[in-house]
Amino acid sequence: MGKEHQSTYWRSLNQLANNDEYKKFVEREFPENATELTDGLSRRNFLTIMGASVALAGLTACRKPVVKILPHSRQPEFMVPGIPMHYATVMPFKDYVSGLLVTNNEGRPTKIEGNDLHPESDGATNSFHQAALLDLYDRDRSRYVRRNGEKSDWNAFLEFASDHFSNRTQRLLFISEANSSPTYQSLKSKALSAFANAEWVTYEPFSDENVLTGVSRAFGQKLRPVNHFDKAKVVVSLDADFMSQEDNNVQNVKRYAKSRKLNGTDSDMSRLYVVEANYSLTGSNADHRLQLKPSKVAPFLYALAAELSASVSGLNAFSGYRNEFSQHSWVAALAEDLRTNAGKSILTAGSDYSPEVHAAVAAINKALGNDGETIEYLELPHADSENQTEKFANAVRGMQNGDYDTVVMVGTNPAYTAYADLNFNSALSNVATTIHLSTHVDETSQNATWHINRAHFLEAWGDGFSYEGSLSAIQPMIAPLFDGKSEIEFLNAIIEGEDVSGHELVRNFWLSQPGGSDAQWQTALHDGLVKGTRFSSRSVSIVPGFAPFIQEALSTPVQTTDDIELIIKPDPKLYDGRFANNPWLQELPDPISKITWDNVALMSANTAQKLGLADARRFGQFEHQTVSITAGNHTFEIVAWVLPGHADDTITVYAGYGRTKAGRVVNSYEGRVGNISQETVGVDVFKARTTVNPLFTENVSVSSTGNTYEVATTQDHHSMEGRPFILEASLAEFKENPNFAPQIAGVYSGQLDETEESWYTTGAAPINLHNTRTFPEREPQWGMTIDLNSCIGCGVCSIACQAENNIPVVGKREVRRGREMHWIRTDRYFSGDDANPTVAHQPVPCMHCEQAPCEQVCPVAATTHSDDGLNQMTYNRCIGTRYCANNCPFKVRRFNFFNYPKEFLTTGEDTEVIQMAMNPDVTIRFRGVMEKCTYCVQRISRAKINTRNKTGNSVKPPDGAVKTACQQACPADAIEFGDLTDENSRVSVAKRDSRNYFLLEYLNIRPRTSYLAKVRNPNPNIA
Amino acid sequence: MSQTTGQVTEQPLFDGNHSFGSITRLISDIPQQETPKWWYIAFGISNLLMGLLIAMLVYLIWEGTGVWGLNNPVGWGWAIVNFVWWVGIGHAGTLISAILFLFRQGWRTAINRFAEAMTIFAVMCAGIFPAVHVGRIWVIYYVFPLPNSMQMWPNFSSPLLWDVFAVGTYFTVSTLFWFVGLVPDLATMRDKVKGKLAKSLYGFFALGWTGGNRSWQNYEKAYMLLAGLATPLVLSVHTIVSFDFAVSVIPGWHTTIFPPYFVAGAIFSGFAMVMTLMLIARKIYGLEDIMNIKVIEKMNIIILVTGWMVGFAYIMEFFIAWYSGVEYEKFAFINRAFGPYAWAYWIMMTCNVITPNFFWFKRFRTSITMSFILSIIVNIGMWFERFVITVTSLAQDFVPAAWGYYSPTWVDILTYVGTFGLFFTFFLLFLRFLPMVAIAEVKMELPQAKVEYYANGNSDKDSANN
Repeated sequence: MGKEHQSTYWRSLNQLANNDEYKKFVEREFPENATELTDGLSRRNFLTIMGASVALAGLTACRKPVVKILPHSRQPEFMVPGIPMHYATVMPFKDYVSGLLVTNNEGRPTKIEGNDLHPESDGATNSFHQAALLDLYDRDRSRYVRRNGEKSDWNAFLEFASDHFSNRTQRLLFISEANSSPTYQSLKSKALSAFANAEWVTYEPFSDENVLTGVSRAFGQKLRPVNHFDKAKVVVSLDADFMSQEDNNVQNVKRYAKSRKLNGTDSDMSRLYVVEANYSLTGSNADHRLQLKPSKVAPFLYALAAELSASVSGLNAFSGYRNEFSQHSWVAALAEDLRTNAGKSILTAGSDYSPEVHAAVAAINKALGNDGETIEYLELPHADSENQTEKFANAVRGMQNGDYDTVVMVGTNPAYTAYADLNFNSALSNVATTIHLSTHVDETSQNATWHINRAHFLEAWGDGFSYEGSLSAIQPMIAPLFDGKSEIEFLNAIIEGEDVSGHELVRNFWLSQPGGSDAQWQTALHDGLVKGTRFSSRSVSIVPGFAPFIQEALSTPVQTTDDIELIIKPDPKLYDGRFANNPWLQELPDPISKITWDNVALMSANTAQKLGLADARRFGQFEHQTVSITAGNHTFEIVAWVLPGHADDTITVYAGYGRTKAGRVVNSYEGRVGNISQETVGVDVFKARTTVNPLFTENVSVSSTGNTYEVATTQDHHSMEGRPFILEASLAEFKENPNFAPQIAGVYSGQLDETEESWYTTGAAPINLHNTRTFPEREPQWGMTIDLNSCIGCGVCSIACQAENNIPVVGKREVRRGREMHWIRTDRYFSGDDANPTVAHQPVPCMHCEQAPCEQVCPVAATTHSDDGLNQMTYNRCIGTRYCANNCPFKVRRFNFFNYPKEFLTTGEDTEVIQMAMNPDVTIRFRGVMEKCTYCVQRISRAKINTRNKTGNSVKPPDGAVKTACQQACPADAIEFGDLTDENSRVSVAKRDSRNYFLLEYLNIRPRTSYLAKVRNPNPNIA
Repeated sequence: MSQTTGQVTEQPLFDGNHSFGSITRLISDIPQQETPKWWYIAFGISNLLMGLLIAMLVYLIWEGTGVWGLNNPVGWGWAIVNFVWWVGIGHAGTLISAILFLFRQGWRTAINRFAEAMTIFAVMCAGIFPAVHVGRIWVIYYVFPLPNSMQMWPNFSSPLLWDVFAVGTYFTVSTLFWFVGLVPDLATMRDKVKGKLAKSLYGFFALGWTGGNRSWQNYEKAYMLLAGLATPLVLSVHTIVSFDFAVSVIPGWHTTIFPPYFVAGAIFSGFAMVMTLMLIARKIYGLEDIMNIKVIEKMNIIILVTGWMVGFAYIMEFFIAWYSGVEYEKFAFINRAFGPYAWAYWIMMTCNVITPNFFWFKRFRTSITMSFILSIIVNIGMWFERFVITVTSLAQDFVPAAWGYYSPTWVDILTYVGTFGLFFTFFLLFLRFLPMVAIAEVKMELPQAKVEYYANGNSDKDSANN
């Protein structure tokens, strides 16, 4: 997007920050209303300030609007009303940041894209990044400081802090979320040195502590393993959902997709094995998937290591070890594949597995020579020596015992996420003074002495390291909407007792660093990162302590029971609940189960049968049976959901739901969630998670309750019914017949006998009543391809589209009625054996058929074809007969059954806040109007205008100038979009691929969107 | 039958050996009598139901189409089912009055007025649905080719637009036809009634009818012309309604057999509805002589014939789906019979194809009870036919991932119930204030109206009174 849009990054703030007027302006906050104009500040003065600096261009319009809107008296540089500006920043998530490029319209951020200068995001995003925008405009965010629940303010807190923290010997505990920020880390050491009796715990409910500990057991040092999937030929994942739930998933997917990219029949692709219980997104992309209970994963790994030890040196610790998996067909096959691809393989395990597992994984990778090839081990400057999970448990026990006078919690929400056996809430009440910095008055804040309202990262200054260590700066896109404070401002206030702006803190820290300079700082702001920075890579070797450590693990007898194991995983959408109040994410269907607005107990059909639950779900069944699960002292009721391919005797539940204090989306969404019987969205399962084994809970009793509960899914049917929607072949089959996809599509349609080629490849259009031209004689002609071999099915395209096109959220009740509004959906099909099915994903947007059935039937010509081949919707003309939607073979049209945008954007208080998230280039659709994918026509138009401005006559933008929102967000680069009249455009090249095929070719509707068939790479040795 | 004269005399069409005068009295007395108590009760109930309809429509328009059970694959539900069903019901009226008139079927005079009235009210009920089912009723005028500054015309290739014209024309011609047929009888009423207001109203609508030769000549010519105009409409309206489905690409809709199949189905259901109403009316108003068992039997034969036409179409659809070799078509039809909506399909099959076979037997054809029960069953069956076509095809079409189950909401159901209120409100008003049988036309079918009658030495017994 950048270049064509006169991308102007924020480069002059330093200057501006030294501008006194600007400083004054920021300190005072912005005038809430024009009454201030009357007392002392004349209108002329006000206008002078308004026009004084570029900062105002970035900041004035972004506040909650002043009552009177005043024009700029002088046009600030770069700022052209209606032309969005793009600024680089990064999003912190756990202990790493991802590079983003934020679109600002008149000072309000409206869209988040990946920063293509940032190596880890490389222009792509995941759902969390996309949805962060709505978190910024979350009206339920806390707006003021609270003391014992009463309204207070920041100054009162400062006063309190300077007094309270003047006692430097008090027993002080910091509980902080993971944070890679060097400024933050410097404040942390400052705090630890300032307070003699202070302790610091970094707490994340789902952390990579075990990975780091495991690696340190193997290599003697806490190092972060980074998997270079792009260099791997064989990837074995032991319950590591590296595409979704594990850290750094954008880059993982980027790299993985690269290793699977096919360019003709000569290309090779990697092979992915997944061993897991739950059907994860990664598992759904596996060439081979083995169902295994989590308790069996470690034995499986040891058996594999033992098998490998026979032929690979460096695994002596395992030699001779035997267990139930030693004879398993997978162990032999995996060992062979890993051995043949030594140095080009990756073995990875889920971060919740024990340090022993990660130590073994590290040892095997080392033995295979993968270190330094496909796996890099990076030094983490912010890594703690102690295992933070254990430290957190001890600290909470200490709180319980009254060991602390004051607890300061920076971010994080332990009252909700902490292990159940720690009784965090009662521990919290045993501490005299508790201070919590949080965006919401959440479960923790409501019990804290002080609640400090936190600024969102899009409105705060900060910095951080990306997963691989690119030093990056966080710059605000907007002044804090609710006067929140960032974590560094908060921490600084506690240490120093005074208020220093985040900008000063970060900048001063950067300047104080070796090599720190103003130029570096400005470039970092412009680019979003300091180029070339990276954590240092370490070469590793097995330490002597590894063998005894692993021997101990091997000698621990493995208990084999048929008891049900309860796995608690972070949710693919809400993660640990931190995104719970985000309606975009709540309404995004789970990539595998396609459930929205709820978590369920995922289990296999056998397990369901064992529990006496009813047979398979019927088409059109919305009420589902619930089960009561007792784990330890906690019992909860949750819907039982049969997920084909889930391992037997295990139940997976996603955490992040059932939050009691998350905000209105979760606790009383004013839209049409309507008839859900409970007060929260979903069920809290953290209460069943203990320190004994955070990964899974044994000794669980499950029983059917006889109750039912309504679940809203976006897909009710799960088989493709043998229809040629997703076409796939094995790599060998593909090499044999590269044209398999168009042939199958044609033969199925009855257009071809088996020897003929698709009309599209031969160029001979089929008999046609209307016009025989494939394209109108006009340039450009837009088209799209979606490579099903790259698509992993994550669903980020849906959210990106939702953000770009102002698509409303409709709520659970409407989704349950089948009225979700996503313009691009991801269809997920199961195929093969019921007990062990394979999964394929297919994103389906509007196909922009050249002979669109929808256009034919609209009585008022509200949907028509444009000269550049778009199937357009004229909202103003639409009367809402829904005939077009009926006649759409792909069912991609979406109808506003109610006034969804009105409910989404104007219900409740402070509606102007959420309205700020809307893209001004896209119309808000009224009730009764049909809508659908437009190929991001607003982006096309902007590119055309820019091209016209540059060239004077052409409206044919260069290839790559137009990227649709889905394409831009996609981490797998599955989507190509561009001009079909340009022979060399990426989309034209993709369309010439032998795997290119059309859906429902026999209807002769000639879709502009086509698919590239999926190719799997199975191991011939595994049947 | 008299062998001696060498003439074949037809059995008189109507029972009771009526004279011209007694026919006039029999029918024209009904509006003149005091309003019966049951009428007030029935009218009250109908009004309540009509109120319900209005409430439902207001709620619908206020809240949005979402109050119905529609979803993403199923964009048309009960509203369109009801529309097609009511339009279909209307068909019998036009068929009886126009086509049977051209074919000189005298027995039609017993029911034609009645059936035409039903047509008009049914089309009124039908017309509500396409209007209110749109998302933005306040701009529904976009469907009319109104000149505007943007030179924006409706899309003339859309079957929905054809529908607007087809149903609009149909309603206009039906109403005209009905009114023209009413003119002589309105004059009769004008001459009979005592009340001043009634007299002037009947008189106004009688258009100055004198009963003279000129009047009759003009009348007959106009009636004949309108019958000729209405005849193609019988075929066209439901053909075009069927195009709403047939022109689409959806398996189960995209079927060339639809036009004749829909017309047959419409006549089938229309006759059944006429039967239901007639059987009640003849009892209440003592019109058994005119709406007699011979008429009932003839109607039952038509129900049997059209029932089999419909049944043939059902079977043919299956055959063509298989014969076409198109997987989607095959699936659509097998899924209808054995899929999630199989219950609806088998209700349809039972009601429409199986039960009318009772009418093979004269015993059942001439049984009032049997006719009444079967007529209701046929109407239920025909509603389900439209449901099966509309909903099952949409709920499970091409892309399995996009399939969605449809079920109606209470608003859907009450709106449908409410249309009966509208229908019966008008129908009761019709029964109360207009001659429900075409007096003049019935008289033309009396033996006295034929020359042969007098050749046998009979005289018009009643001529003195008339």
